Amino acid sequence: MTGLLVPSLILVPWLGALVVWRVGDSRPKWQHGLAVSFSVLAGIVSLILIPQASSDVAFSLPMGKLFGELTFIADGLSVALAAIACVVGSLAVLFAVDYMHGEHQLGRFYTFVLLFIGAMTGLVLTSNLLFLFFFWEITALCSYALISFYNDDPKAVAGGMKALIITQFGGVGLLAGALTVFGTLGTYQIPDLLARFSELTPNLLAVMGFGFLLAAAAKSAQFPFHTWLPDAMEAPTPISALIHAATMVNAGVYLLARFYPVFEHVPGWTFAVMLVGMISALITAVMALTAMDLKRALAYSTVSQLGYMVYAIGAGGIFASQFHLLSHAVFKALLFLAAGSVIHSAGTRDMRRMGGLGKQMPFVRNVFILGALALAGLPIMNGFWSKELILEEGLLHTPLWAHIGMLIGAGLTAFYTLRMTWMVFFGEPREALHAHDAGTAMKVSLGILAVGSLTTWLLAGPFSSLLERTLPFHEFHVLTLDTLAEEIFLAPATYIALGVVALGLAISWMVRKQATGPVPAALEALSRESFGLDWLNQQVVKLMSQSASAMQKTQTGEMNWNVVGIIGALVVVLGILLWSAS
Amino acid sequence: MEIVPYVLLSLGAVFCAYKAVRSPRLLASALYLAVVSALVSVMLFLLGATEVAVIELSVGAGLVTVLLVYALSMVGEDTQDPPSYIPKPLAFVLVVAAAGLVGWMTLPMLPLPQATRDLLLVDVLWKQRALDVWIQIVLIFSGVLGILGLLTESQTVTEDEIEPEVLESVSAVIAHQEAGLHKPELAPKSEV
Amino acid sequence: MTLFNVLIVTVACLLGVGLYGLLITRNLIKIVVVLQLLVKSVVLAFVVAGNVSGHPGIGESVAATIIVADTIVAVVALALAVQVRIRFGTLDIPKISSLRG
Repeated sequence: MTGLLVPSLILVPWLGALVVWRVGDSRPKWQHGLAVSFSVLAGIVSLILIPQASSDVAFSLPMGKLFGELTFIADGLSVALAAIACVVGSLAVLFAVDYMHGEHQLGRFYTFVLLFIGAMTGLVLTSNLLFLFFFWEITALCSYALISFYNDDPKAVAGGMKALIITQFGGVGLLAGALTVFGTLGTYQIPDLLARFSELTPNLLAVMGFGFLLAAAAKSAQFPFHTWLPDAMEAPTPISALIHAATMVNAGVYLLARFYPVFEHVPGWTFAVMLVGMISALITAVMALTAMDLKRALAYSTVSQLGYMVYAIGAGGIFASQFHLLSHAVFKALLFLAAGSVIHSAGTRDMRRMGGLGKQMPFVRNVFILGALALAGLPIMNGFWSKELILEEGLLHTPLWAHIGMLIGAGLTAFYTLRMTWMVFFGEPREALHAHDAGTAMKVSLGILAVGSLTTWLLAGPFSSLLERTLPFHEFHVLTLDTLAEEIFLAPATYIALGVVALGLAISWMVRKQATGPVPAALEALSRESFGLDWLNQQVVKLMSQSASAMQKTQTGEMNWNVVGIIGALVVVLGILLWSAS
Repeated sequence: MEIVPYVLLSLGAVFCAYKAVRSPRLLASALYLAVVSALVSVMLFLLGATEVAVIELSVGAGLVTVLLVYALSMVGEDTQDPPSYIPKPLAFVLVVAAAGLVGWMTLPMLPLPQATRDLLLVDVLWKQRALDVWIQIVLIFSGVLGILGLLTESQTVTEDEIEPEVLESVSAVIAHQEAGLHKPELAPKSEV
Repeated sequence: MTLFNVLIVTVACLLGVGLYGLLITRNLIKIVVVLQLLVKSVVLAFVVAGNVSGHPGIGESVAATIIVADTIVAVVALALAVQVRIRFGTLDIPKISSLRG
């Protein structure tokens, strides 16, 4: 049964992509309908798959000696992430029915969305490192194509290019790690690596560990690669919700969690992971304070929350990080989609021009507030439970200064969340924007996500026992709802954290009138330049494109020079063979 | 002393190959190629690979040469042999390095053992590689189609069948080169 | 000098001459000639290798396949060359390349 479900989870969206593309742009109604039905079908399949999770190989396809077997393992981690990808994916597609209504080139849009959903499920389900890399690159490609969807806008094209190049840069780390595993253990299978990693020398393990960290940081937009995510906000908003909040950016966190048992004992690795998470969480929280663009503010907050997850992995709290990943996927998708309907009806992304929109769109206001409460980490929302769990892990397993840093981050999160909510929905209208409430399809997907952000914390018990049961190489202890509640409500850390959050909210409330005014110049400049790191990232992008155009000169198109290249390569290969034989 | 014929054949083949590459006239190149092919097929025959030698002689020295001469007669010979963009020393060094390495790496292998005729070409082709043979038959068929393209299409394409923009670009090239477009000459320039 | 050495030197020399030809040739039809030369050396190498390994039949069958495949390559390449000559008036590859776009 699982043997059939797992490949169908990848093939159903891909088939949908093919069908929607073939239907053609002249029949937009068909395209909307087909895209929704295929993505909802994938969502249902992914939910059916959850109870069938096991650590056994679910499906395997021999691909010859070089690639190893294309195997899929539907364990707890995989099915959870696949379900997030498919369910949030179907909700984003549903939302897009209203959001993209009347847009041109719907075929291109839906094709890449469905291709992405299939590739993302493949990424989390496969247990072959090389195919993990392939799926990783397909998601990067879809992300690029969708960021640059409005390809007559130079900002969108530049943003897509930046995202593509930076994630490729990290992908090299993943490929190097995969090839190292194959070179030393002779297999691409992840379970083999997890079982036999002690056969590798410590140096090799360290190189791989930091290579994977590089890949994860680039994919999850962590320090120092966090600058591509805000620029990716030129994408249509359902894409931002799906790819750049709920799924693809989680792939880095997934990678770190998946290989945690291997690299746990590499000296300095957990510390580096923790540090990357903490720095990302803090600096992007500061940047979110000054953002005036609604979507950029949400993007900064996404990086910040991903920083919390990475920090949790550094602290050894794999379950805490995955639990927060689940919560974050739900409430951030909700926030993005709500922001999308605001932008759709107000026609601007600039929060300085909004204000008082709550009266015109009460439904969107209500669900946005639910998402904002979850983001700020206030009790009974799902964000509260997972964030407290992370902070508690941090208190137990990381230095005190790191924990204090994350507490400050929580306070900043509360601050910018309230500022954002206030600027958009409350106060006096600053411009006469004619906003209307969301359409039916939008309301359905927003409503489902809002219910989710109220309730997904109830899944903590089943989720932890699922992970414990199906991940033989990780150490989990089952966490029932009772023990979770007990741990969180009895720990003093919770009350300190809540105090900091309340402080953040209070300060934000006091300065809410100044929120639209000019921000302190130094802070503004620092944020605009991403603390100088945007320069670094731009250098990476520039270097890549310059070397690409330099390489272009070698392609003369003259056959004689091509033959020179071929013979030269032959000489080099023969030389290496001769050298290695002696 | 059994190697003497091989040495002679080898020297002849390499010399003719060099002449084929360096000859300014295409027809001479084609004929030198035929000689190389014949010499190589004699070597193959002496080595005991009679079937391959026969195929090589008939196809390599026969069919390909005929086709080359026929194609040359259709296009008319380009007398000019334009010099290559590649600096001669670079080409020389690269080639010597590549061929030298190949030779150097193969030489220390085992000397020629007594060939055991346990597995004949016919057996290999029809028993062990039957699928390949069928694919080769398909390949030959596609080759025949290629010859048909060479023979028919080139004769039917006349100037009024070429699309106007191609014609324009062609005439632009002609104007640029200040040289007339050679009409395909159907009569062979020289006898085979 | 054993027989094997002579044959290997022959193969290497033919290979070298062929590669040199590929480097200096700009004429489409001459490239077909040069490719044929290269293939002669490869055919010889396969037959020799079959003899060395003690299973001449296998080497010979590969050699036969190569001859078939390369003859077809030559035929199709010649057909293309004739068409190019008729359409563009030249067989010089750099000039043909400069016509693109």
